[in-house]
Amino acid sequence: MRERVGVYVCHCGGNISDYVDVKKVVEAVKDLPNVAVARDFIFMCSDAGQDLIKEDIKNLNLDGVVVASCSPHLHEKTFRDAAALAGLNPYLVEHVCIREHCSWVHSDDPEAATQKAIWIVKSAIAKVSLADELQPIRLEMKPEAIVVGGGIAGMRCAIDLAKAGIKVHLIEKKPFLGGRAAQIFKLYPSGKTGSDLVKELVDELKRYPNIHVYTNAEIVEASGALGDFKVKIVVKPRYVKEGVSKEEIRRAVECCPVEVLDEFNYGLTNRKAIYVRESSYPEEAVIDMDHCIKCNECGIADFEQKEETYELRGSMIILATGAKPYEPKEGEFSYGIYDHVITLPVFDRLLAVCDGKLEYEGKEIKDIAFIYCVGSRTEEHEYCSRYCCVATLNAALGALEKFGKLRVYHIYRDIRAYGKYETYYEKVGEEGMLFIKYDPEDPPVVERKGDKLIVKVRDLLTGGEELEVPVDLVVLSVGMVVEEAEIFNMLRVPFSRDGFLQEVHPKLKPVETAIGGVLIAGTCQFPKDTVETTASASAAVGRAETYLVKGYAELEPFIAEVDPEKCDGCSVCVEECPAGAIRIENGKAVINEALCKGCGACGALCPTEAINLKGYKYEQFRAMIDILKEA
Amino acid sequence: MDIKPEYDVLIIGGGYAGMEASLTIADAGFEVLLVEKEPSIGGHLIQISKVFPTTDCAGCITTPKMAAVPKHPKIKLLTYTEVKNVEKIGKKFRVKLVKKPRYVIEEECIGCGRCEEVCPVLVPKEFEYGLIGRKAAYIPFEMASPKKALIDLDNCIMCGRCERACPKDAINFLDEPKEIDVTVGAIVVATGYNLFSPELKKEYGYTGNLTRIHDNENPNIIHAFQFERLLAPSCPYHTVCLRPGDGKIPERIAFVLCTGSRDKSLGNPICSRVCCMYSIKQALLYTSAIPYGEATIYYMDIRAFGKGFEEFYNMVKELGVRFVKGKVAKIETNENGNPVVVAENFETGEIEREEYDMVILSVGLLPNGSKEIAKILGVETDPYGWIAQPDVNGNPAKTSVEGIFVAGTATGPMDLPDSIALADAAVSQCIAYLKEVKD
Repeated sequence: MRERVGVYVCHCGGNISDYVDVKKVVEAVKDLPNVAVARDFIFMCSDAGQDLIKEDIKNLNLDGVVVASCSPHLHEKTFRDAAALAGLNPYLVEHVCIREHCSWVHSDDPEAATQKAIWIVKSAIAKVSLADELQPIRLEMKPEAIVVGGGIAGMRCAIDLAKAGIKVHLIEKKPFLGGRAAQIFKLYPSGKTGSDLVKELVDELKRYPNIHVYTNAEIVEASGALGDFKVKIVVKPRYVKEGVSKEEIRRAVECCPVEVLDEFNYGLTNRKAIYVRESSYPEEAVIDMDHCIKCNECGIADFEQKEETYELRGSMIILATGAKPYEPKEGEFSYGIYDHVITLPVFDRLLAVCDGKLEYEGKEIKDIAFIYCVGSRTEEHEYCSRYCCVATLNAALGALEKFGKLRVYHIYRDIRAYGKYETYYEKVGEEGMLFIKYDPEDPPVVERKGDKLIVKVRDLLTGGEELEVPVDLVVLSVGMVVEEAEIFNMLRVPFSRDGFLQEVHPKLKPVETAIGGVLIAGTCQFPKDTVETTASASAAVGRAETYLVKGYAELEPFIAEVDPEKCDGCSVCVEECPAGAIRIENGKAVINEALCKGCGACGALCPTEAINLKGYKYEQFRAMIDILKEA
Repeated sequence: MDIKPEYDVLIIGGGYAGMEASLTIADAGFEVLLVEKEPSIGGHLIQISKVFPTTDCAGCITTPKMAAVPKHPKIKLLTYTEVKNVEKIGKKFRVKLVKKPRYVIEEECIGCGRCEEVCPVLVPKEFEYGLIGRKAAYIPFEMASPKKALIDLDNCIMCGRCERACPKDAINFLDEPKEIDVTVGAIVVATGYNLFSPELKKEYGYTGNLTRIHDNENPNIIHAFQFERLLAPSCPYHTVCLRPGDGKIPERIAFVLCTGSRDKSLGNPICSRVCCMYSIKQALLYTSAIPYGEATIYYMDIRAFGKGFEEFYNMVKELGVRFVKGKVAKIETNENGNPVVVAENFETGEIEREEYDMVILSVGLLPNGSKEIAKILGVETDPYGWIAQPDVNGNPAKTSVEGIFVAGTATGPMDLPDSIALADAAVSQCIAYLKEVKD
């Protein structure tokens, strides 16, 4: 029983004290039998606020602390650390929320908000009075990580991890690394091609033998927890003999009689059934068995190759699974109805593959209309896809540079050429391209007249004038949507409202997911351009290194604990445990501390109350309920 | 001062990006020296009310870091200190720092504020952008870290009252600059941004004079970071949102976006990336504080491009904030002291004149001495004076000098999530560099 509890009530600079009468809360608890001191302060989380607590712990010999302020998500650790510095076991600090739970939700009734705060604080005092001193769990962290996705984000992660001496397993489902960035005709702001960037990353990646690349790989199982993840992959065969030279590959590709549409160029060009990707990795060929006729003209085929299964382990997982372009619906701006309505990624490849003159489906392109915000800022996808404005401006400039005179119309809502990208917007204007602002309530309509497409649009910049713009090609500036991956479900990572993966907090934990040890990088989190993608990848590595380079992690001690006296070995808990952390040994339940997540399901079901959750014991809850009964 | 001769990493700038980088790299086990030229860490973020699009209070994000930095066993913090010289020797850097005199013995000061109470000199308070005053002996702001006083000798009248009032005898008028030499393994530049000075946009009538109304001097035309202070929980007038001219509650306000951004005539052609969103957020906070208040935003393009931004913009639009696509030509002052916005509405083609109680200039961001620090470090800058990123697509935290990395808005304007990402990116590049140099 704790006899000398200190209680600290925070104003949160008005966030709490505007509605909760903090002085009244202090008054209500300061004379309770086991309360040694109760105070209020403008910002408990500030240095001065923390010092207040530390001084009291030392001077008044406190054996328990209650802080009533914001959500424990924000500052529980702050106050625990402060207590520890003053010599008090940090788990004797109880942090309760009177901001989100009182002032913010009951701003219409300050008196009731104050009453509720008083009861919350009183119950916290009851809880901390029965608290035990606990020690954090220390997990060893082997310097080994798994990166899922071999686009530029995944490659950046792998390189940065490897440089720090960490072993990396890089898993890619396609036969080659590079992802969608490889398909970009011209990157902004560097002006390189996407495949230049991929090549640079590949060259860097090849220097590190501690990066293990698995292409053509499918993840079939993923499990584990921080410090010990297991990912089972099946690597599909390339059906090409190992150790063949580059020259042999070149000849083999030449000999292959089967031509199919090349998905890398969205079918604008053909490839063979056996193929390689220039400037990518691995520098090996692959045979597309959906189209191969097994003639073996190539001479390097090996049809006997079998799938291989690997079980990879890593202390952490970084998801860099990416996003994909929004696929317009049939008829959306006449997409799928007229051949000459295409999407921006296809246009990018068109720029790359055309030589001399810009041609599509047998027609020379002289007039182009770009329609912005397709699949973004709509009812279906409310979010802005961020990259498309500048990517479109950049593609238009690239087209002009490569093919000379073109008449270009930008049919937009807002040009979001943020930051230094403003210069692209300016350049496009200087080049004489025209901007037409459309109303999303009355979007442009694409029709055909003779051999031209006509874009009918009401221009908000000229007071709503009806315009008819005749063009040869309509390019839909499509947004990004998340690339689904099986591993999301296997690891149970949460999604945000926009369908992308959800970080824990956009500022405080921007690359962490709710699953400990699973981080996110690149566009699986939200649409990003290549700069933001590689930055976020390095950032995820930076955060991961706080464990992987240091070599251990310290975790909260809130896990289940069995009282063998009370346990009768009924094994209800074993069946219920979602983490598989409980087994029966000699007729008693035993907890695996590394696996237990502290969810408390076992304790709730145990018929003999033999399982307690450390820090959340039955008797603590009973004491809290006893207090709240009075409320 | 217990300063070691050598640290793994020197971090220049104790704003949010610098604090983030320091904490992450220190958590990974490296020794960090964090240098901040101002008397407190916290940067601009600690001055801000709430952050978009989540409307978390900025203090709740910043103060824990400000408290954690000086407490961290692997971080040595030097405030009021500038980098004077850097020389690369082999793979390491010899750094000369100068700790400016506070005229208060830092180790002795307990931050009680008695010197502040007795000091008779009143000058505009930097932390509040001049909305209120501070003393010549002062603690920079309530939540300062370290919470230590200093004396502004330019304004001090040498009356000695602070010296007599100090319970710790911590005042030292003979304090002098101290040179410090250290060797570091890698450097992170996190020098952040400065605000565009709205005085330069003469047509908008901002003079910085917040007390009197003369011809063309209107204290009811303020800049957005001043408005940020008026909306903050720790607001200078102890009640949210009074206009500085006469203390009236402003019932109609307008925001003028792109003040000092996207403006070649002022030498800053680029967009400042955050002004659209912070203005939308301020409009929301204003209409929450003054429910009968009306807010109008004059914009060229609304750039709500980050995660959750568009949704936030839509919500604020639905709450009744008025958006006018137009370019503000000038701001005049009516006889009653109210500002009048003269703008061309792009959608009607008309020139419109509208009177408001207060106008907020949504000022852009400019480099914060990055040209000077770049010269000292020998790294390149871009055409606008920000730290250049030679491998911007592949490795954005890299600068033109191996071993020197860049975090946050030292590279250009950006919002908090992007700034944090680049800070943590700089951390992984530092660790990579340190590890490779060692091997």
